[in-house]
Amino acid sequence: MGRNEAAHASASDVSGDTEEFDPIGTLTLIGIYFVILVLSWVYIYYIEFLGRDLIVVG
Amino acid sequence: MHIHAYEKVWLAASVLLILFLLGSVTYGAVGPGIAMVSDGESAIDPGGIDEDERFSEPRVEQVGETEYEAYVVARQFGFQPDPIVVPANSTVTFYVTSADVIHGFEVAGTNANTMVVPGEVAEITVETDAPAEYGIVCNEYCGAAHHGMEGKLEVVSQSEFDGGRNGGDGE
Amino acid sequence: MSEAIEGDRTFADEFPAEARVVRAALLGSFLALTLGAVFGIIQTLHRTGVFRGLISSTDYYTSLTAHGVFLALSFTTFFLVGLFTWAVVRSLDRPLIDIRITWTWYGLMAAGMTMTGISILAGFTDALDMSADVLFTFYAPLQAHPMFYAGLAVFIVGSWIAGADYFRTWLAWKREHPDDRIPLQTFMVLTTMAMWYIASSAVAASVLVFLLPWSLGLIDQVNPTLTRTLFWFFGHPVVYFWLMPAYLLWYTVLPKIAGGRLFSDPLARVVFVLFLLLSTPVGIHHQYLDPGIAEGFKFISMTNTMFLLLPSLLTAFTVVASVEYGARQRGGTGLLGWLTDLPWRDPAFTGMMLAGLMFAAGGFSGMVNAGMNINYMIHNTIWVPGHFHLTVGTAVALTFMAATYWLWPQITNKPIYSRSIGLVQVVVWFVGMALMSNAMHAQGILGVPRRTAEPEYSGFDYPVMFGGFEELNVQIAIGGTLLFVSTVLFVGNLVLTMGNPKVSGLAEELPPALSGPDDAPRVLDNLGLWVGIALVLVVLAYALPLAAIINRGGLLGPGVGTYPVWFAPALDALANAATPSLGAITDAAASLVEVIR
Repeated sequence: MGRNEAAHASASDVSGDTEEFDPIGTLTLIGIYFVILVLSWVYIYYIEFLGRDLIVVG
Repeated sequence: MHIHAYEKVWLAASVLLILFLLGSVTYGAVGPGIAMVSDGESAIDPGGIDEDERFSEPRVEQVGETEYEAYVVARQFGFQPDPIVVPANSTVTFYVTSADVIHGFEVAGTNANTMVVPGEVAEITVETDAPAEYGIVCNEYCGAAHHGMEGKLEVVSQSEFDGGRNGGDGE
Repeated sequence: MSEAIEGDRTFADEFPAEARVVRAALLGSFLALTLGAVFGIIQTLHRTGVFRGLISSTDYYTSLTAHGVFLALSFTTFFLVGLFTWAVVRSLDRPLIDIRITWTWYGLMAAGMTMTGISILAGFTDALDMSADVLFTFYAPLQAHPMFYAGLAVFIVGSWIAGADYFRTWLAWKREHPDDRIPLQTFMVLTTMAMWYIASSAVAASVLVFLLPWSLGLIDQVNPTLTRTLFWFFGHPVVYFWLMPAYLLWYTVLPKIAGGRLFSDPLARVVFVLFLLLSTPVGIHHQYLDPGIAEGFKFISMTNTMFLLLPSLLTAFTVVASVEYGARQRGGTGLLGWLTDLPWRDPAFTGMMLAGLMFAAGGFSGMVNAGMNINYMIHNTIWVPGHFHLTVGTAVALTFMAATYWLWPQITNKPIYSRSIGLVQVVVWFVGMALMSNAMHAQGILGVPRRTAEPEYSGFDYPVMFGGFEELNVQIAIGGTLLFVSTVLFVGNLVLTMGNPKVSGLAEELPPALSGPDDAPRVLDNLGLWVGIALVLVVLAYALPLAAIINRGGLLGPGVGTYPVWFAPALDALANAATPSLGAITDAAASLVEVIR
C-alpha cells in the first residue's frame, strides 16, 4: 500500500497543501478533549479534593 | 515559521488551561489554606529518637484550647501511638518521623498524607470534624512486611477524649 | 532527499549490519517485556487476592522490583536504542561510524541489565545470599546487593555510548552535508539523548558516589533525602525518555500509515526542544509530600511541570491533524466522518491510535499528579501506578508493540505472521488497560496504597465510591489478565513471524511533512544552545534544593542505618579510612551552602 501514498507525497506539492488543508476535525476533537479536561479537573479538585476530610492547613 | 491558525487557537487554549490549573492550586493554598509539608522542622537524628523529647514517648498532647499535637513514630512495621486518639472539632498537628527506613503516613480516604523520611520530621496540621474512625496506612514500601503496617486514627467526642485521658490512656 | 531513501529496498537491504543491531535491541526489549508480563500477572492476581498461591507476600516485592526494572528500564530502553539506531541511520541515509562501537554499547547494556536482573531474581531463592528488594526507585536506606547498583551503572554507561554513537554519526553526516537541516528523526534522537545525558548524570552520581560504595560497606550511611532527590532528578525526565521514541513514531511513522504525512515539521522540532528544556527541572513534583524540602521549591517545580504539558498538548494537535490529513487523502469527509476512512484494520495504526487515546486520558491524571496540594489526595496511592500504566504502560508500550508490526518487516524482510492477531492484540491491550487503570485510579481516590502485596487491612475498611474496593479489585484482576494475554499474543505472533521466509517488496517510504523543515527557524537546529539553556534551567531548579538538603542532613546522612546489611562488618576498616576525606567534602558542601545563602 506504500506505493500510492508515496506518489502523493512528492515534494513539489508540499507548499500548496499547507494553505489548503484546514484540520477542522482535529480542532473539533481536541476542543471536546479540552472541555472534558476542564470539567474533570473542576470535579477532582474542587469537589473531590477540597470536599474530603482532614484538609491539611499547616 | 508557519503555524496554522487552528494550532494557534489550540496553543492559546493550552496556555489558558495551564494557568487555570496553576490558579486552582494557588486558590487551594490561599482560600482553604492548604499548606504543603515543608522544611519548617529541623533535621533529627533517627538513631536518637528514643532519647528525643517528643518521640521517645509517642503521644497526643494538648497545647491550646482546641489545639493538639500528635508525635508519631513510624518504624518497620507499625506506627506509635496506635491508635492515635484526638478530639472532634479540634486542630491537630502531626509530627511524624521514622526510626529506620522511608515510610508513608496516610489517613486512608482523607487528605492527611505525608512521606516519613528518617532524619526529617514531617509536620502537617489538620482540622477534625465529627467523631470518626480512620485507618492509617504506610503507603511507601518499607520492607518485607510492609503490607502489615497500619494504624488507626480515632476522632472521638470531647467528653470521650477527656474520659479516656482521665482513665489513664498512657499510650 | 533523505526522507526518500528507501525506494524499493528495505532498511534490512540497505543497512544489513545496522539492521542486525536493531533486531538484537528489539529482541532484548521483548525478552524484558515477556519477563515483566509474567511478574505483572502474578502481581495483579496476588494483590487483588484472586490467587496468592504462587509467591508469598514477602516475595511480592521481589516480583514488583523485577516488574518495574524489566519493563520501565529494560523493555523501554532496549526498544529505544533499537528504534533510534534505525531512525538515525535511515534519516541520515548513512551507516553508523563504527559498528564495533555499536555492539560495544549493546553488550554493555545487556551485561548491566543481566547483572541487575540476577541480583533481583536471586531474591526468590534462599540459596543465594543476594537480593535487591528495593523496587524500581531503590530508596535508601533500603539496600540492594552491590551487583544491583553496579549493573545499573554499567547499563547507563552503555546508553551513554549509544548516544555518543548517534552524535558521532550525525557529525560525520554534517561534514558531508554542511548546509542541510538535521533530518527530523535524527533531530528527535539527538534532543532525546541530550536530555538523557543531563538526566542520567544525577542517578549515575547517586549510584556511583553514594549507593554502590554504601552497599559495599565503604561508607556507613547515606542521606536518604539526597539520594531520593537525585533519583527524581532522573526519575521524571526518564518518563520522557520512554515517551520520546513513541512521539518519534507518532510524528514520523503514524501519519504515513494513516495515508498522509506529518502536518508540521517545525512544530515537531519545537516540541522536542521543549522536552529537552523542561523535562529535568521538574523532578521535585514527585516529592511534594517530602519533609525537609521547602514549599517554594515545590511550587517552582509545579510551575515547570505544568508548562511541560504544553509540548504534549501541541503533539496531540499535530498528530491528530496529520492523521486527519491522511483520512482526507483517502476520501474522508465531514467534520468527524473522516474518522471512518482510516486504516483501522491495520494493527500498527489502530495500536498507535489507541495508545494516543490512552495517553489523552493519562494526561488528565498527570495534571492531577502535577498539582501541588492535590497531591495529598493521591500521593503514593494506587492512582499513581494507574496513571503511569496509561502513559508508559500504554502510550509507550502499546505504541512500541504496534510500531513493531510496521517496523519488523523493514528490518528483517519478513512479513508479520498474522496481522489479524496483531489487531486483536492491540485491542485486547486497550480493553485490559482501560479496566485495570480505571479501577486503579478509583481505588487511589479511596486511599488504597500502591506497592503493597495485600492492600486490605485488618483495622478498617475503605470508603465506598465509584464501586467498592472489592469490586474494583475484580476489575484490576480482569484487566491485568487481559494485558497478559495481549503480551502473549504479541510475543507469539512475533516468534511465528521469525519463522516466515524472507520476501521482497516490503519497503515502505516515509513521506516529507506538509510544512517541511525549511519552514523551521534554523536556530531550532542549534543543539548546543538548547543544551546550554537546559543546563541553566536545571541549575536554577536544583542548586538551591540540593544545597539545602545537604546542609540539613549532611552529604552522608543523619545517622541512618542500612536495611539489610551486606558487607559492612568485613569492610569496616576501609570505611573508617574513607570517613575523614568524606567528612571534608561534607564540610565543604556545608560552607558552600552558607555562601549561597
